[in-house]
Amino acid sequence: MSYGIIARCPRTGRLGLGMASYSLAVGLYCSDTARANTGVSITMGTPNPGNNALAIRLLAQGFPSAQVLAELIGNDPNSDYRQIGVVDREGKAVAHTGAKTRPWSGHRIGEGYVAFGDMLAGENVLDAIVQGYLADPATELEERLLTALEAGRNAGGQVGSSGRVPERSAVLVVHGIFDYSDWDLRVDKHEKAVDELRRCHEEFKLFAAYYVERSRNPREAIPQREFSDMLAANRNRKNP
Amino acid sequence: MTYSIIARCHRTGRLGIGTTTTSLACGRRNESVRPNVGISKSQAMYVRAHDPRALNLLALGFTPSAVMRVVEEHDDNFDYRQTGIIDREGNAVAHTGANCGKWAGHKVGPYYAAFGNWLSGPAVVDGLVDGFLAETDLPLEDRLLLALEGGRKAGGQKTEKNPKAERSAWLRVVDRQDYPEIDLRIDMHTNTVAELRLLLQEFRLYQAYYRERCRNPQEAITEEAFVAQLAASTREPCSSAH
Repeated sequence: MSYGIIARCPRTGRLGLGMASYSLAVGLYCSDTARANTGVSITMGTPNPGNNALAIRLLAQGFPSAQVLAELIGNDPNSDYRQIGVVDREGKAVAHTGAKTRPWSGHRIGEGYVAFGDMLAGENVLDAIVQGYLADPATELEERLLTALEAGRNAGGQVGSSGRVPERSAVLVVHGIFDYSDWDLRVDKHEKAVDELRRCHEEFKLFAAYYVERSRNPREAIPQREFSDMLAANRNRKNP
Repeated sequence: MTYSIIARCHRTGRLGIGTTTTSLACGRRNESVRPNVGISKSQAMYVRAHDPRALNLLALGFTPSAVMRVVEEHDDNFDYRQTGIIDREGNAVAHTGANCGKWAGHKVGPYYAAFGNWLSGPAVVDGLVDGFLAETDLPLEDRLLLALEGGRKAGGQKTEKNPKAERSAWLRVVDRQDYPEIDLRIDMHTNTVAELRLLLQEFRLYQAYYRERCRNPQEAITEEAFVAQLAASTREPCSSAH
C-alpha cells in the first residue's frame, strides 16, 4: 500500500523513515517505528500495525535486525502479505517482501537503509528512492528521506488496477537522542501528498529551532507572532 | 496559543486527545499518549521531555496529582507551562502557570481535562467542555472533535487584540493496543478545525476496510476496488437495478 525508506544516518546515528501511499493517513501505521539508539522498523504491504512496537522491543532486548525480522515473520500467519524493514542501531539492514504483496513489489537493502514498496510502477521506483537517498549524504536525515520520496514519486510511484494512483498521504519521522521525535510531519489526505509534505517541511524548518529554544528558555522567548513577523520581513527583504 | 482536551471514555476506557494550535504539526507529539498508562499533554512553553517522564511516573504507579507535584519540583519555569495529566482510570489534573498568557485556564471533570492558553476568554474552555459533554454516547474521537469545535465557536485563540488562526490540529485515540485506533493530523492549514472534521469524516469511510484488510489480507479487496464501491454508493444511494 506504500513506498518509502527507513534509514540510520551514518554520521549522526539518527533513525528515521519516509513513506508515501495511496491510502489515507499512512502515518497511522508509523507509530513506534523508531527509538533512539535502538533502531527503526516498519511493516507495510498490508500492514500489521502491532509489528512496529514488537520490533522495537526486540531490538531493545539486543536482538540484531536479522533475528528481529525472523521473529516478526514467525509471529504472523499472514507474513506473505507483509513488507517488513528493520535497521538496527549499528545500521545493519534487513527486509522481507512477502510473495503475496501487490506487484510490482520489492526492496533494496544498503548500508544503513532499506527502500521498499508495493504496487510500484516498476523496479526503477526503488532505484530512484535509493538514488534520492544517496544524493547528498552531508544533509540532515529528514532531507535525505524526503528527497528519496520525491525521487520515487518522480519515477512513477504506485500503479493500481487502472493505472497510476496518486499519493494521498505521506509521513516523515526522524528520532535523535531523545524519547520523542526530532522531526515528525504528516499529510493525511491530499491530492499531491508528497508535494504537500515538502511544503510543510520547508515551513516547519523555519520554526524548528524557535520551538526548541522557547521551551528551554521561556523567559527570553519572543511570541510566535513576532517570530512569524520577522520571518515575513526577511522574506520580503530577499524577494522585494 | 493552544487548546486541548484529554479524556478517558467512561464507557470503553479508551484514551484520547484533541488539540489545536498556531504552531505547525502539533500532532508530532506522540510521546504524550501511552496506551494503558495515560496521557500527559504539556503546552504553552512546553518541554518535550516532560510528557514521557510524566507517563513513566504514571506507569510506576504514581497518581496524576503526585506526578504533577514531581514535575513542578523539578521545573524552574513551571509558571510558563500548562499541562493536563490523566491516568488509565480517568483521574485528571491540570496546571496553568501564571505566565501562560491572557487568557489561559483549565477545567477538570471526572474523566477529562480541558485547557488552553492565549484564548479569547474563559468561554473557550467552557466551549471545549460543553462540546465534549454534548453527546456522551458517541465514540471518543467524535466527542473530542466536538470539544475542539466548541472551543473554536466560543472564540478560539487570541493575542492581545487579534484572533489567531489555528494552523495545526491532532486527534488521537488509543485502546489496548500499542498502536492508535485513530490518529489524524492537520499539520499546516488555514481552516484547521474544519479540515480535521472533513478528514475524520473521510477516514470513517475507510476505517473498517483498513482494519479488516490488515487483519485478514487474504480476503481483502484492493483499495481501488473499495474506492470505486464508495463512489458508486454515493452516486446511487438506492441501487437496485442491476
